[in-house]
Amino acid sequence: MNAPQTPGQPLLEVVDLAVDYQSKSISLPGIRDVSFELRAGEAVALVGESGSGKTTTAMAVAGLLSPNAAVTAGGVRYRGRRLPIDDDDAMRPHRWNDLSVVFQGAMNALNPVQRVSKQIAEPCILKLGMARDEAMARARELLELVGISSERGAAFPHELSGGMRQRVMIAMALACNPSVVIGDEPTTALDVITQAQILKLLTKLRKELNLALILITHDLSVVAESCDRVMIMYAGRIIEDGTVAGIFNNPKHPYTKLLIDSIPDPSTGKRISQPIPGDPPTLQNRLSGCAFRSRCPSAMNICALDLPELGAHEQGRVACHLYPAAAESTRFPSNG
Amino acid sequence: MTETLPATDNRRRIRVRAIKSFLSQFLGHGGARLGVFALILFMAMAAMPNLLVGPLQTAMNATGDFLVSPSQVNLLGTDEAGRDVLNLIVHGARTSLVIALVSTLISLVVGTAVGMAAGYYGRWVDSWLMRMTDFFFVIPSFVLALVITPVVLETIGRSGNILGFRPSLFVIILVIGLTSWAFVARIVRSQTLTLRERQFVERARVLGTSNLKVMLRHLLPNLVPQIAANGALVVANAIYTETALSFLGLGDPLQPSWGTLLALAQRAGAASSGAWWYLGAPGLCVVIVSLSFVLIGNALDDTFNPRRRAIP
Amino acid sequence: MSGGVRGPGGHHVGQVVFRAVITLLMVGVLNFLLFRVIPGDPAAMLLAGARSSVTTEQMQAQRQSWGLDKPLVPDQLVSYLSTTLQGDFGYSFKFRGKRVGELIIERLPETLALAGLAQIIAIIFGIFLGIYAGWRRGGVIDNLTTGTSLALYSTPPFWLGMLLVVGFSTMLGWLPGYGSYSPGAGDGSFLAGLIDRLRHLILPVLSVALGLIGQYVVVARAAMSDVVTEDYMVTARAKGLTNGQMLRRHAFRNALLPVVTLITLNLGYVVAGAITVEAVFAWPGIGSLTVEALNARDYPVLQGIFLLLGASIVFANLIADLIYGLLDPRVR
Repeated sequence: MNAPQTPGQPLLEVVDLAVDYQSKSISLPGIRDVSFELRAGEAVALVGESGSGKTTTAMAVAGLLSPNAAVTAGGVRYRGRRLPIDDDDAMRPHRWNDLSVVFQGAMNALNPVQRVSKQIAEPCILKLGMARDEAMARARELLELVGISSERGAAFPHELSGGMRQRVMIAMALACNPSVVIGDEPTTALDVITQAQILKLLTKLRKELNLALILITHDLSVVAESCDRVMIMYAGRIIEDGTVAGIFNNPKHPYTKLLIDSIPDPSTGKRISQPIPGDPPTLQNRLSGCAFRSRCPSAMNICALDLPELGAHEQGRVACHLYPAAAESTRFPSNG
Repeated sequence: MTETLPATDNRRRIRVRAIKSFLSQFLGHGGARLGVFALILFMAMAAMPNLLVGPLQTAMNATGDFLVSPSQVNLLGTDEAGRDVLNLIVHGARTSLVIALVSTLISLVVGTAVGMAAGYYGRWVDSWLMRMTDFFFVIPSFVLALVITPVVLETIGRSGNILGFRPSLFVIILVIGLTSWAFVARIVRSQTLTLRERQFVERARVLGTSNLKVMLRHLLPNLVPQIAANGALVVANAIYTETALSFLGLGDPLQPSWGTLLALAQRAGAASSGAWWYLGAPGLCVVIVSLSFVLIGNALDDTFNPRRRAIP
Repeated sequence: MSGGVRGPGGHHVGQVVFRAVITLLMVGVLNFLLFRVIPGDPAAMLLAGARSSVTTEQMQAQRQSWGLDKPLVPDQLVSYLSTTLQGDFGYSFKFRGKRVGELIIERLPETLALAGLAQIIAIIFGIFLGIYAGWRRGGVIDNLTTGTSLALYSTPPFWLGMLLVVGFSTMLGWLPGYGSYSPGAGDGSFLAGLIDRLRHLILPVLSVALGLIGQYVVVARAAMSDVVTEDYMVTARAKGLTNGQMLRRHAFRNALLPVVTLITLNLGYVVAGAITVEAVFAWPGIGSLTVEALNARDYPVLQGIFLLLGASIVFANLIADLIYGLLDPRVR
């Protein structure tokens, strides 16, 4: 039920993180009060619709916010020390060595005029100081590790299929032996079969290399096989988190329940994914009180007045007025 | 519950809102505002020169001294025949602008027709039309104009009127129009290829709409943004070409454009005698108008093809 | 698919070269037709201005080599094409029966010096400024650079030339505003002659170069601006590359593609662009030859120049296509 206990301090601690976006001299709230922990070897999923803040959170942790975004509160600790996510120069030694990112390979995330082996070898040369031949050899090793034959290393990105490009991104992310890998919707643009292959690959690598993984996705079905814990985000806040089993078997927040209900399940004969009615809020039009109340089947009067706080219960945390007792304790769950 | 409006009212509202949104976005560009302002100024000059400075001064009725620098009497000085330079450039606005705009119109019409046909019909029509377009693209249009104009003028003669224009100006308009359409054609073709795959085209075809109607009523309105944005650049180019051709002597001294004025200035030795007002004024007008069109074209392009937004 | 030379891109090279040859042929045919559609007797027209200076033997030879006694198409066309391919462009009228080919070759170096130097200067300054502006978008320097570049791009080079002459030659007297050398300047020493030539080059080169710089800055800046927002730049930043490394290893190469294409295409228009500037400075190159021929109705010369220009544009397009194929693997 619970994540396996790892002794010692957490690898990554995010504490009360808040990010704002600047748009034509007004500040728009991105994320608020985001706190969670990550231990070595753990895989956590950040789930939500577009505009939920999941990408903002992950990019903030990686220090990759766009120039019009800024951290306005809180911070991140890596191995107990403050991670300088707002300072590009100070962040540089951590990049790729400690924390790397697997972007969506379907996009233009690979340089179109460079061969993929060269791109994989690049961080080895620049960050680990390897000689060119050494780095290219390591690139070939990494390609084999992700299931691509090393001759394909001489290919350009457009010559590879979507699934292969994703594998290349994974190989590249592992180049400097990071401890934390962030996957930014790594399977979103792939077909179901390739998706399953990539997730299996990620799980295998994670176990072999004891990687900690943050997986961003809008698709809960992706989470079940590959992650230990799940965090659901809505309108820039975490509204529920817990273990995979806990969330799937016993979801508490109405939004989580709707998300799980919308997953197609062949065993119950439901074949088509049913979207949740209504639209997720944009940064500009979030509601006061509980942002979900306009789409919530269980909305009460208090939901329009008070923001529900994230509170702990035995299996995780939830922010909903339906669970008032949980709101009293807002510490992290003590792995219970 | 909102009331549903009748369909035509709704459509009109949507269109008005779209136009308002476009205008506010377009005029949000500093360059666009400058360009539009300058253009309005010069259009006013071109529309009513007699109102602003009186009739065009000729060597006969010139009143000033020769090559006088700007003074209270002649705000922009005089030329070698005593004509007021301000008078000359205000009248020149009409000639330069009309030539540029009419020749651009020709380019746009021909280019759009060819580009749309090539993109829409595809296959061998596309292949042959594009070969022709590439050919016209490659021909040195300036030299072609340079060579054709005197030849045509010799056959037609330098006097009289063709459609309200002096022969040399008419030829210049035609020549510029016919040598710049290739640029438009290429762009229209690639846009058409993209649009052709869209649903509304499918729907129209399924309903049995004729090809011509599909092109005119469905494709063309969607092509307008691209055509407009590039059309501004075509005008800027047309101004430049006309100015250069006139500078080399192909213009008409009786209906002088800014380019012709520059030619007259050069021949009068304005450069070597330091008459900076005489050659500065017409050239500055060309720069301002050309730049205005470029700025407007860039702003239009930016409005219709916005760059990536950074807000998630 | 056509046959032909197989290059690094397979059939790509062959197709492109083939198309260029066809286009060149079409330019030749157009050239032929242009000067044959002049009403009246073509020979009389073509030799009219030169009747006094061209000998009857030359006239007869021309009539024969041009095949003017035979039907227009295909005989005249074929003989025109074959004589042209052999390098015979006919005789000029204005210059007392001098061969057109010789005239062109005589005048070409001056134009190449002017246009070539201008291009080199423009490429160096324009690209560096443009890439810098595009990399660090925003700010006063960027806006100033972009605004000035747009203005320069919209300025007719010959007008700029006239202004420069008024300023630096007439008023300040620092530089000559006429011709490409002062007679007698090179009599003393080679160095003195060289300096004299350089002094004459400055203003015309500046006139051409400034407009080109404007164009290159605008294009390079736009290219770099586009590249900077691409996803692979985020990847580069995530990898922990420094700004310099990101620029050199990723941004530069990608931004270069449209810029290189533009430069290559521009090279085809080098002569055409020089025509008006040469007119202003009385520069003894192909440009002023064109104007002189125009004023004298020297059709053989005009014909030869038209062909030269057409060929250089076709050639430049060909090179641009090939280079683009080399630089962008997606196209191969």
